[in-house]
Amino acid sequence: MAVQSDVIDDAGPYDRAKALGAFKLGDVTFYWITRLSAISVLLILGGIIVSLIVGAFPAMKEYGFSFLWTQRWAPSADPPVLGALGPMYGTLVTSFIAMLIAIPVGLGIAIFLTELCPQWLRRPIGMAIELLAGIPSIIYGMWGFFVLGPFLANTFQPLMIRIFDGVPVLGAIFAGPPSYLSTFNAALILAIMVLPFITSISVDVFKTVPPVLKEAAYGVGCTTWEVVRSVVIPYTRVGIIGGVMLALGRALGETMAVTFIIGNSFRISSSIFAPGTTISAAIASEFAESDGLHQSGLILLGLLLFVLTFFVLAAARLMLMRLDQKAGK
Amino acid sequence: MSDLSVSMSAAGGLPQAPVLPEAPAKVTVRNLNFYYGEHHALKNINLTLGANRVTAFIGPSGCGKSTLLRIFNRMYDLYPGQRATGQLMLDQTNILDPKLDLNLLRARVGMVFQKPTPFPMTIYENIAFGIRLYEKISKSEMDDRVEKALRGGALWNEVKDKLNASGLSLSGGQQQRLCIARTVAVRPEVILFDEPCSALDPISTAKVEELIQELSENYTIAIVTHNMQQAARVSDKTAFMYLGELIEFDDTSRIFTSPTDRRTQDYITGRFG
Repeated sequence: MAVQSDVIDDAGPYDRAKALGAFKLGDVTFYWITRLSAISVLLILGGIIVSLIVGAFPAMKEYGFSFLWTQRWAPSADPPVLGALGPMYGTLVTSFIAMLIAIPVGLGIAIFLTELCPQWLRRPIGMAIELLAGIPSIIYGMWGFFVLGPFLANTFQPLMIRIFDGVPVLGAIFAGPPSYLSTFNAALILAIMVLPFITSISVDVFKTVPPVLKEAAYGVGCTTWEVVRSVVIPYTRVGIIGGVMLALGRALGETMAVTFIIGNSFRISSSIFAPGTTISAAIASEFAESDGLHQSGLILLGLLLFVLTFFVLAAARLMLMRLDQKAGK
Repeated sequence: MSDLSVSMSAAGGLPQAPVLPEAPAKVTVRNLNFYYGEHHALKNINLTLGANRVTAFIGPSGCGKSTLLRIFNRMYDLYPGQRATGQLMLDQTNILDPKLDLNLLRARVGMVFQKPTPFPMTIYENIAFGIRLYEKISKSEMDDRVEKALRGGALWNEVKDKLNASGLSLSGGQQQRLCIARTVAVRPEVILFDEPCSALDPISTAKVEELIQELSENYTIAIVTHNMQQAARVSDKTAFMYLGELIEFDDTSRIFTSPTDRRTQDYITGRFG
C-alpha cells in the first residue's frame, strides 16, 4: 500500500490519470467476468430445456397428452406403449410421504437443538446431522435394500396392515402383502435423506430470532413450547418454508437410493406397501438399454420432472406471498 | 456520555417532586449477589421496591442495573452459567426459589424492554396472546380486555381502526406502547422497564413517561434509565449503582439535590459516567 501511494504522490497529473485508467480497465474486466458468470447460468438452463424438448419431441408427437394419463408402460410392445402416470404418481406420493415424516422430525430436532438442548449435547447432534447430509445416496440405497427393507417388511408393515385391516380408505392404503421393495420404504429413505436439509436450515433461521423477542415472550409468561409456536416459528416462517422446499426439490429428483428400493413397478397401487416407481428411478433403470421411441419417452419423463419441480417451487412462492399478505406485511 | 450536557443543567433546576409517604414493601432484596460464570456482577444489594411507587435505577453502563432488573423476573434463567444468591421476596414469595413456577412469576412481574418487541402477529393478537396464556375467556370478553389494555397503553385511539394490522407496522413509539399494553393486559403486580425510551423520539418518550406515572397508581414499577432527567421526572425513589454495588438509595428528590455519597454527586452532575 505504502509503495503505491508514494508513486501516486510523486507522479504528475498526467501519470495519475494513467494510473486510474489501469484501475478502470480492471474494473471493466471484473464487471464482465461476473456478468458472464451470471449469464452462463441462464444459458446452461436454457440449453438443458432445449435439449430435453428436442430429445422428447418424437415421444410427444407419438403420444400427445395421453402420455400423461396412460398407466401402461410397455416399451417392447409393437408399437411401444408408453404412459407416465405410474412414475408421476410414484414421484408425488413418495415425496409427499417423505415430507410428512421429515418436516415434523426435522423441525423437532431444530427446536431441540436451539431452544432446549444442553450445551454439551449440541455439537454431537449437530455433527451427526451434517454427516447424515454427507452420506452418498447409493449408500442409502444399499442400506435400504439390505437392512431397512427387510426390517420394515418383517415388523412395521405387518403391524400396520393388521391395525388398519377392514378400515375404509386407510385399509386400502396400508394393504398387504409386506414387501422388501415398496413405495413406503423409498419414502422413508427419502425422509432420512432430506432431514438434514430441513434441520440445518431451520437451526440457522431459528438463530436469527432476536433474543430480546424471545425474552419478551418468556416475559409475559410463555412456556418454551408457546414461545416456539407463537414467536419463533412465525418469525422464521419464510426461512423454514425455504428449507422445506429445498428438501422437497431433492426428494422429487432423488434417483439412486429410490431406484434400489422402490421396486420399479409401473403399476399404480393404492397400497403404499406395494412396489412402485418414480420418474427418476424409471429413467435410471431403463435409460442404458433404451433406444428410439422408448428413449424419447424417457427424456419426456425427464422433462415432466423438470416441469413438476418448477411448479412445486412456484406454488411455494405463491403460498409465501399469500402468507405475507395475510400477516399484513 | 450523551447525558453529560443535560445532566449538568438537570442538577441545577430540578422540578421538586413531592415526597410521598413511605410505602409498604412490594419487593424486598436482601444480600443479593449475582454471577455471570466467574464474574461477580452484583455485590450485596439491599433495597426494597415500595408498592405503587416508581423506583429508578441509574448508574454508568455496566454497573449492573439491567442485571438487577433481570433478576426480578428470573430472565437470567434462560442462560446457562448465570446464578444469583441471597434473598429476593415478592410479597411472601421467594423469587430465587428454584422450584418456583417461572411462568406464574413472569405473569406477576411483567417486563418492557429497551427495544420495542412486538410479536410477529396482529395488534389484537399481540395483546390477546398474553391473556390467553392464563385465562379462557369468550370472544367478547377478550375484545373488552384488549381494548382496556390498549387504553391502558395510551394506544387505543391510534390503533382502534386497524387492530388486524401487523404489530410490526406501527411506529417505534407505538410499538413500545403496544408492548406496555401487552404487559399490562396480563395484570401483573410489578412492571420492570429496561431503558424503555432509549430507542424513542422525544414525543414518544414523553408519552411513555406520562404512561409510567399513570401506571404507578396500580402497579409497582422499577425502571432502569440512562437519562437522569427521566429518573427525576418519573420516579419516587432512585437507586444509584456503580461497579455492581448499590451506592445510594433514597427519595428521588434527595438523590438529585443533596446526595450523601461523593460518587453519586459526581455522576448526577456529569463528572463521570
